[in-house]
Amino acid sequence: MLPQRRWARPSVATLSVGSTPLAPAGPRGLTRLVRANERLFYGILGFVVIGILWELAGDLGLYRKSLLSTPSLVWSAAVQDFGSGTIWPDLSASGVEFGLGFVAALGIGIPLGLAIGMFRRVEYLVSFLLFGIYSTPKAAIAPLIILVAGIGLESKVILVFLLAFFSVIVSTVAGVRSVAERHLDIADSFGASRWLRFRSVILPSTFPFILTGIRIATGRALVGVIVAEELAANEGIGHYIELYGAFLNTARVMLGVVLLGVFGVLMGEGVRRIEKRYEVWRQEIH
Amino acid sequence: MANTDLALSARGVRMEYRDRSSDTRLVAIEAMDLDVADREFVSLLGPSGCGKSTFLKIVNGLLKATAGEIRLRRNGKGREDAMVFQDAALFPWYSVLDNVAYGLVCAGVKNDEARKRAAPLVELVGLQGFEAKYPYQLSGGMQQRANLARALAVDAPILLMDEPFASLDAQTREVMQAELLRIWNAAQKTVVFVTHQIEEAVYLSDRVIVMSARPGRILADIEIELPRPRALELKRSAQFTAYADQIWKLLASQHAPAAPVGQA
Repeated sequence: MLPQRRWARPSVATLSVGSTPLAPAGPRGLTRLVRANERLFYGILGFVVIGILWELAGDLGLYRKSLLSTPSLVWSAAVQDFGSGTIWPDLSASGVEFGLGFVAALGIGIPLGLAIGMFRRVEYLVSFLLFGIYSTPKAAIAPLIILVAGIGLESKVILVFLLAFFSVIVSTVAGVRSVAERHLDIADSFGASRWLRFRSVILPSTFPFILTGIRIATGRALVGVIVAEELAANEGIGHYIELYGAFLNTARVMLGVVLLGVFGVLMGEGVRRIEKRYEVWRQEIH
Repeated sequence: MANTDLALSARGVRMEYRDRSSDTRLVAIEAMDLDVADREFVSLLGPSGCGKSTFLKIVNGLLKATAGEIRLRRNGKGREDAMVFQDAALFPWYSVLDNVAYGLVCAGVKNDEARKRAAPLVELVGLQGFEAKYPYQLSGGMQQRANLARALAVDAPILLMDEPFASLDAQTREVMQAELLRIWNAAQKTVVFVTHQIEEAVYLSDRVIVMSARPGRILADIEIELPRPRALELKRSAQFTAYADQIWKLLASQHAPAAPVGQA
């Protein structure tokens, strides 16, 4: 009971911005807006707080601005580079490398993970091989990849693929392993075909694990992009960071880093959205 | 009983497991003979580990017996038997209607057609209005109704029920028992019902097969001559109690490690 308040805890549905033309103005309206988007609000708040602390620390002389820059310097660098458009070629180069490597990692990792999880012999066939490659630090073989595939797009895509691929495989296999025996029994009991068994039981059970794998793979693929670009490249965000680092232009180095962070957050949120859509029924299982 | 009237006939069914740690053989079912007449309601009753669920899975084809033979009467079309599983036996990623239609889809019926044919079964078990809900939105009793509807939908003459009400609370279980009798009567099925609850077995069955703890074998085959239709009040009658006592004594005399009365 909330006798004092006429707007007792509105449901989330009535809070979505578009559907509340009658939202009262003033602080109450703001409070409602914040409640509706708590996650977004606090997420941004966290960014802002760190930004302010960083700026203050710089102004108070706690560190040398020339080494760690400040948010305002990063901001003016961003305005300059986006305004003149000089950063776009780097952004798009990294984007393409990321996209190709990532899609290849999903396209090969998901089916292979499913096959490993479902067929013992496939697992035996590839497990030594995969773990061999998995335990090799990718940064160590990056120079070799660049030597073989050149400093262009190919070497980056290969490295992104190698880094992202394993997260996808490992989660997919874990997903298949977690398929409940009792659910398989139902399919077998009613005489489901192999294809139906796969489609109706194994795939839906594994799907949430695949999404988790994708989310982890995002971060690793970004590492791949940057490592490859910093080693040898003439465009891309990694190259941008490397280049301005050499000139001690730390504002631009930090700008590159911040852009990577923003991209990572956006990708993670995107996957989270998809996860939420499939989460409806998961409450029962987990 | 004339052979033609038998829905199910098992001879010398034996089930052994290899225990991997000691490399010895565990006998789950020793040698089981069982005849079930058409449209008969038979319960397999016994403590945990007596192999009653295992037997059901062998009949269903989920497990292969070490030895023995099982014959189901051919009905010419579709499956002879359909299983009603223990709790949490619905696909959480399917709606109620899709869960009920699943057996039909397994039998090769197209999705839309399967849904159409599943709809009356949803109604029969009293779930109308819940077709689009997901299992987590249903109570345990409602989930088991859907579980039952799925087995009924494939229209197999034999229903195999593996402790379907074991995880329900006492009241819901009684409601479901009465519902099951109503549906059994309407659908005219042969039922083999596995339970560890004496009351449940006596109340539902024409015959109660009492089994011993491992290795599982048949201790007694008791005809329950209580009039049908059976109301829940029947459970308070002297006749009913006499059957229950008889079975209880039989199980108690076995030094079975598990208590004979309801423990899940």
